[in-house]
Amino acid sequence: MHFPTQTLSIAVLLALPAAVRAVFKDEVGHIDYHHELLGVPQSETTFFHRPRPQEKASLLYTLSDLGVLGAVNPGNGAIVWRHLLNGNITEGGGHLRAGEDETWLASALGSSVHTWDAITGRNVWTLDFDGAVKDLEIMEMTEDNHKDVLALHEEDGTTVARRIHGTEGRVVWEYREVNNDIPLQVSTNLEKVFVVTLHGSLLSYTLKVIVLDTPTGRKLDEIIIGTKGEVQKPEDVMFVGANSAAPVVAWTDNTLTKLKVNVLGSKNRQEFPLVDGTVGVEIHAPHTIPSSPHFLVHTRTNKASKADIYHVDLKSNAITKAYDLPLLEGRSAFSTSSSGSNVYFTRVTADEVIVTSSVSHGILGRWALKSGTETPIAVHGVSEVIKKAEDNYAVRSAIVTDADDWTQIVNGDVAWTRPEGLSGAVAATWAEIPESEDLARTLEAEAHTDPWSAFVHRVTRHIDELQYLPAYLLAVPDRLMASILGSETPASSDTLSRDSFGFNKLVVLATKRGKLYGLDAGNQGRIVWSKPANETPGAKPWDVVAIYADDAKGIVTVRGADGEFIIVKSDTGKTVESLPSGLFPPVESAVVVDSDAGPWLLPIGKGGKVAEMQGPWAPKQTVVTRTEDGGIRGVKFESKGEQAVEIPTWTFNPPAGQKIVEVASRSKHDPIASIGRVLGDRTVKYKYLNPNTLVVAATDEQANALSVYLLDTVSGQILTSSTYEGVDPGKDVACAMAENWFLCSFFGQYELQDSPSQHLKGYQVVVSDLYESDSANDRGPLGDAANFSSLDPVDRPTAGPYLPSVASKTFVLSGPVTCLTVTQTRQGIASRQLLAYMPAAHGIVGIPRLVLEPRRPVGRDPSPAEMEEGLSRYAPAVELDPRMHVTHRRDVLGVREVMASPAVLESTSLVFAYGVDVFGTRVAPSLAFDILGKGFNKLALVGTVLALVGGVGVLRPMVRKKQIDARWKA
Amino acid sequence: MSSKTPSVPKWVVDLQHPPTLKSKAGSIPDPPGYPSQSTALSKKQASKEPKTQPRKQPTPEEMDTLKLKKAWEVALAPVKNLPMTAIMMYMSGNSLQIFSIMMVFMAFKNPIMGIIGTNQAFERFESESNKTKLIQAKLAYVAMQIVALAVGIWKVNAMGLLPTTRSDWLAWEAQREPLDHAIPAF
Repeated sequence: MHFPTQTLSIAVLLALPAAVRAVFKDEVGHIDYHHELLGVPQSETTFFHRPRPQEKASLLYTLSDLGVLGAVNPGNGAIVWRHLLNGNITEGGGHLRAGEDETWLASALGSSVHTWDAITGRNVWTLDFDGAVKDLEIMEMTEDNHKDVLALHEEDGTTVARRIHGTEGRVVWEYREVNNDIPLQVSTNLEKVFVVTLHGSLLSYTLKVIVLDTPTGRKLDEIIIGTKGEVQKPEDVMFVGANSAAPVVAWTDNTLTKLKVNVLGSKNRQEFPLVDGTVGVEIHAPHTIPSSPHFLVHTRTNKASKADIYHVDLKSNAITKAYDLPLLEGRSAFSTSSSGSNVYFTRVTADEVIVTSSVSHGILGRWALKSGTETPIAVHGVSEVIKKAEDNYAVRSAIVTDADDWTQIVNGDVAWTRPEGLSGAVAATWAEIPESEDLARTLEAEAHTDPWSAFVHRVTRHIDELQYLPAYLLAVPDRLMASILGSETPASSDTLSRDSFGFNKLVVLATKRGKLYGLDAGNQGRIVWSKPANETPGAKPWDVVAIYADDAKGIVTVRGADGEFIIVKSDTGKTVESLPSGLFPPVESAVVVDSDAGPWLLPIGKGGKVAEMQGPWAPKQTVVTRTEDGGIRGVKFESKGEQAVEIPTWTFNPPAGQKIVEVASRSKHDPIASIGRVLGDRTVKYKYLNPNTLVVAATDEQANALSVYLLDTVSGQILTSSTYEGVDPGKDVACAMAENWFLCSFFGQYELQDSPSQHLKGYQVVVSDLYESDSANDRGPLGDAANFSSLDPVDRPTAGPYLPSVASKTFVLSGPVTCLTVTQTRQGIASRQLLAYMPAAHGIVGIPRLVLEPRRPVGRDPSPAEMEEGLSRYAPAVELDPRMHVTHRRDVLGVREVMASPAVLESTSLVFAYGVDVFGTRVAPSLAFDILGKGFNKLALVGTVLALVGGVGVLRPMVRKKQIDARWKA
Repeated sequence: MSSKTPSVPKWVVDLQHPPTLKSKAGSIPDPPGYPSQSTALSKKQASKEPKTQPRKQPTPEEMDTLKLKKAWEVALAPVKNLPMTAIMMYMSGNSLQIFSIMMVFMAFKNPIMGIIGTNQAFERFESESNKTKLIQAKLAYVAMQIVALAVGIWKVNAMGLLPTTRSDWLAWEAQREPLDHAIPAF
């Protein structure tokens, strides 16, 4: 007799909300951490702006090098709002402008133009155009009382300028010219719109200014400035002013000896000499209309920097040099700030902040930079100068430092620092905190001696350790009190140490800007160390092909695509060994292989080419790589004499028209707790557990189909394959594999069988279970064999390959998912969760494996036996509701990969996600069955026990007395 | 009276001639052998006694058959409880609860203790003459206990505690090890 069905189903239903609740309220901030990042701000797209003209408070706006548009509260550095503009990480660029006294901002990235509400970050309007945006400006004055947006696009040799209504988002006029010019920038003054283009051919351009009529967009004039070959490349044009506050275009010659400036609308140009050894020129000018037309030229040499201030006479179109700021050692960041017609220039050097007015060289304010241990070296910045009294100024500058931090300095004091360098991570790995070297060495020594002396050594070691016993015992009461009172904060110490639960681990992160970071995952993701990966700046962005942590040695190896690599200590970041790029052929991927000489990271070149290696270094395993023509192949290595010889064993090419888009394999740490699944009737369905399997997803653009193959990576045989029709090949296909199951997620559209006019559309996930045999209690053709080789059945002509039995189900998810990962636990006993990033919801969702279960009964309620297995009736729609989000209400932006790692506790899996943001948490897919939660009240427990002991102590004499009295009375 | 009192204390008188106890309620008879009743009854029954025949002492043969009968009753006793036990076991369900655990424990303990104590159970009925006949009864007793045990085993099986299915031995089955290894490098 089994459990009554109804009772059980009610029990299961009641247990479900508890099972799917990903995070408890009291765990928030305790088990998870989140670095909310924007990316490193770009100098042209960062500014202070007042979101409401009637209020004095301003916000700091930026469009970062990752394409994240955000507003930051300058008071505390907290994010007010942010958006990932194109939905994915972009390689810098973009434009961001704000009109004075307007409540909106205009941004442009890629081909689209948006405006946003400055306070809430809500999108006001979005326009998508053809071609790429080259520039964006705000037209400060128009007929009616609002401001318009000017956008300049380049469409295959066509220059397109558009005036867009600022609040309504419609195109007022459009100017098109097919001229094969390179449109550079657009500028405006009260009457005219200037479109600056480069005319000519490569390495010999002339500057051309097209003058347009503001109300109609009619072409009024065309001005060619300078002679042919005046400008060699578009980057040489330093600056085109936005409006009448800086009505100039400035460019340099190729050798950076002269700066040439032209006042827009005029034909003549003026030349100014530059300092010898100039490596960079930047021009800073005010953006607001009422400001005086003064601009600053920042000249940078290798070691020092200086600035010259020029005034523009708007009537005579003459440019005169007003004064200069002295050449100072080290890097300086200059920024402009204006209030009314006054323009202030702020200079942030390594040790002070200096404010001058644009009119004269007198210093208005000077503050020594009081920073902590390391002095930030400013790369660029923005600032806001406020005149408090007649002779008293205050300045706040948000500067980007060479460590990719974004720091605000208020009158010389560091107000806040945002670690923006953590954003844009391209690779990361878990690393154990290295044990102290002494202990590791001792243990190694003990392992290599004979048992008796090892035993004696160990006993003496433990006797030696007795000296620490008194200190340990002294610490016990404190620890006990801390444990009972719940003040068991991990003492947020700066030292790294392992803990008995295995939560303290390191994460080593490589960013696209070529920086390496070490984060303490057990301590709120604290940055333990950070460093640039190579002394000489390599190719940007950094393309990391492999990152591998060797926990035995405590080192992390990072390999780049240009053949460069760096080996660092995982706990300190100290470089052990490094090789700059270019000395080694390009690398496509790298993998750790076993060889006679020990494990090592085998680099694999383009098209799966493996460099020659010496005999002892030959990998023992078959290495599976890509081929040049888009297939997959397996390679074995045999040592022949000195050298190892590469022997291709198999090649897999998808059928014609198909392109491999995704490959997934079981993770390295994928322990199997049970080799079979016990069914409700106590029979066993044996799992097909072959570690040498690979899921390959290939799309067919013509047929709109997705084919999923399961390959045996030793023999190259296809174990199972399936094809799905109506798949959008343009959308991401993501696959994951663990234990004996794999899944693929894609966007698809089906025709319903019973009514072909109806379509079923959605993000689907197909889960497939692999079993050894269709029937229960059957271990398949291999029976009880202790081992197997995938090559055996192939060698025998009579028997085909040993194929698994596959059970599949398709589910429709309520949103797109990417970055599929399966949780990992130490022994694989706890059930698994599928972790996926939802790019639309900005969250990471943990879908229990029980929901995505191919054995769920279709079209009927589960039988009691099935219910005992935890199977519920198949429902195609899986609602990814917020309770499943491991990120709960956090807004995690632009995740590129989600990584899971086992802890010492079996119930728990550590999760780390990176991309734009950095997020980490712990998940317990089968609930935390081996650790007390934070909600467990130790105080109440101890209190109850003490109260009971006290009660017994009081009652015992009373009861004794009563009993004796009763005896006497009887 | 006064001269008599000092010579014999009152308690001696009480001891020699215990006072007749007043019966609290007439309907409740005193237990047999109780002094007041025995004296009272002996007087009443003295007249009736000669009428009743003195009970005939059974002969040793009759005694043996009687004992054998009793022994068979004892031998079949366990099976008489069985229907009730079975119903209770059925009713108590197959989940592991304190009640069903205790039932199962008793279902095993009783038959085993019974089998161990077979000889003690039949000691009273044993005599020189009926020893051989008693063996059948003992065998039947053991058989009945085994039947009771079987009910217990049925119960344990129903609870799924017997390792009779493939899944019970799954933990001892080893995973098949692959002879070749491959590493994906993508």
